[in-house]
Amino acid sequence: MSEFVETISRSEDGRFLELLIGPQHPASGHMRLVAEVDGDVVVSLRPNLGYVHRSVEKIAEVKKFLQIIPLVERPSLADTTANNLAYVLALERLLGVEPPPRAQYLRTLLAEINRIHSHFYGIGIHGVMIGSSTAFMWAFGDREPLIHLAQELTGARITYSYIIPGGVRRDMPPDFPDKVEKVLRYIERRLEDYDKLYVRNPVVRARLEGVGVLKKEDAIRLGITGPNLRASGVPYDVRKADPYCAYPDIDFNVITREEGDAMARFLVRVGEIRESMKIIRQVLKKMPDGPIFAEKYYKMLPPNLKKYYEETKEVKFPGIFANLRAPAGESVARVEGGRGEVVIYIVSKGGMNPYRFRIVTPSFRNAVLFEHLVRNVRVADIPAIYGSLDYFPPEADR
Amino acid sequence: MVCGLKGMMWVGNLEKAARKAAVWLVNKRPIRDIRDWGISFSLWPVHFTTACCGAEFAATSAPKYDAERFGFLPFVASRQCNLLLIEGTLTKKMAKAALWVYEQMPEPKFVIAMGACAIDGGIFWNSYNIVRPMDILPVSVFIPGCPPRPEAVAQAIIMLQKKIRKGELVKYEEMEVVK
Repeated sequence: MSEFVETISRSEDGRFLELLIGPQHPASGHMRLVAEVDGDVVVSLRPNLGYVHRSVEKIAEVKKFLQIIPLVERPSLADTTANNLAYVLALERLLGVEPPPRAQYLRTLLAEINRIHSHFYGIGIHGVMIGSSTAFMWAFGDREPLIHLAQELTGARITYSYIIPGGVRRDMPPDFPDKVEKVLRYIERRLEDYDKLYVRNPVVRARLEGVGVLKKEDAIRLGITGPNLRASGVPYDVRKADPYCAYPDIDFNVITREEGDAMARFLVRVGEIRESMKIIRQVLKKMPDGPIFAEKYYKMLPPNLKKYYEETKEVKFPGIFANLRAPAGESVARVEGGRGEVVIYIVSKGGMNPYRFRIVTPSFRNAVLFEHLVRNVRVADIPAIYGSLDYFPPEADR
Repeated sequence: MVCGLKGMMWVGNLEKAARKAAVWLVNKRPIRDIRDWGISFSLWPVHFTTACCGAEFAATSAPKYDAERFGFLPFVASRQCNLLLIEGTLTKKMAKAALWVYEQMPEPKFVIAMGACAIDGGIFWNSYNIVRPMDILPVSVFIPGCPPRPEAVAQAIIMLQKKIRKGELVKYEEMEVVK
């Protein structure tokens, strides 16, 4: 742990030491942790946030509605689809546009692919923090096939900007379902290896079991969402509670566990990877035919872009869409991202850019949770707890 | 130096002379090439993530793109590293930390600025809370892209290696001997 320490100060009565951990530390989280320690026991911990505050909400007020799509993706780079989808759903509610069914299914498909590779990202970073480089190498290696799939669908590695008001940007390539099936079979095989390497590994169990226990009542009181909440035994999932896109037609389970410790949070993520694979298979089976772009906007395309759309099934917006005006009003949309519930709130005064823009991200709630969990634990448990939350600082700071 | 038969030989400050000779030797052609070759294949970036490009930086070190084959191994302690990668946006609060980390690293040290935000702000160009890395750090290589692909990061490493092997970046000068 010597690398963690930068400067040390002692409390007035000389009993507690104040440890400043970071912002350059092995966990490479962009925040400073101010821990008060009594010997090897952490008495309290205050995360010092704001190292990645880039004023996304303020910038959104001067950007046009379509320009905000790439902007909202940047705060949460490992899980871009959730933010993109939440923003577009909120905007569509404001504009009164309904995407066609095929577009809904394609959105669901990308959201689930993204959820799997976001969970692998979390598992890998968690592995680094508890000192298991193998877990990092495996998880990041297994993330690549899924990124490759998403790349075939959208054209970008992680910042897709795939979901646009009225539909999606591209149709699925014809041989896509076969490739997805191949990848899913590979991931299934690999998850068994993870069981052997990680879940049944005595070292990992000793580091994670019973560490950072979050009680059910505390989880609800602190407003935690996503896998961290479900690991404490609360079956809350926005996909079930407030269904959007194609989720009402799809059969899946909400993974919960009762223990609420770091191991349970890890196992919930693994369980969700399995559920997401189930969802992807159903989506591909039920995928309806038809347009991928709303009729209302299709009519507004000039003839050359209409022809381009018919030939390639790719949507290109003409320049007039830059001046998209949303009617005055407010709208809010929520989406279940890889890390939890993403809420986006737009206030429009009828202009070309929003009057007020707000993102509520799951990671900020996790920062509150982190402070709550690291109390009377060992110093070596800090990275184990920190990693198990799947905390992504740019998302919390926005 | 050994004393002569009759009296002493004037040698001046022996330690200073040795240092001068070492600097002269290290900057001399064959030794300099070997030195630069060695530095170029042991670029250890410090584990310091400034913003969201860190996700792609992690993918660069992961199996598919495996940057370790260039001698590129992310490491924890800044005192054992010689490369600082500014990954994406540098906020005002983070810039202070970046300067601290840079000052702690031993010479010779290099800086790579990754992502459009690290060049000129990128999508956050009009944000009130960002700093251009080139204003505060001597950046050797810029990587465009938002975020850059891992291949681009690998290319930046190779570019930096070429620059080092040309002898543009590393210069040893005579240091003052502190007694």
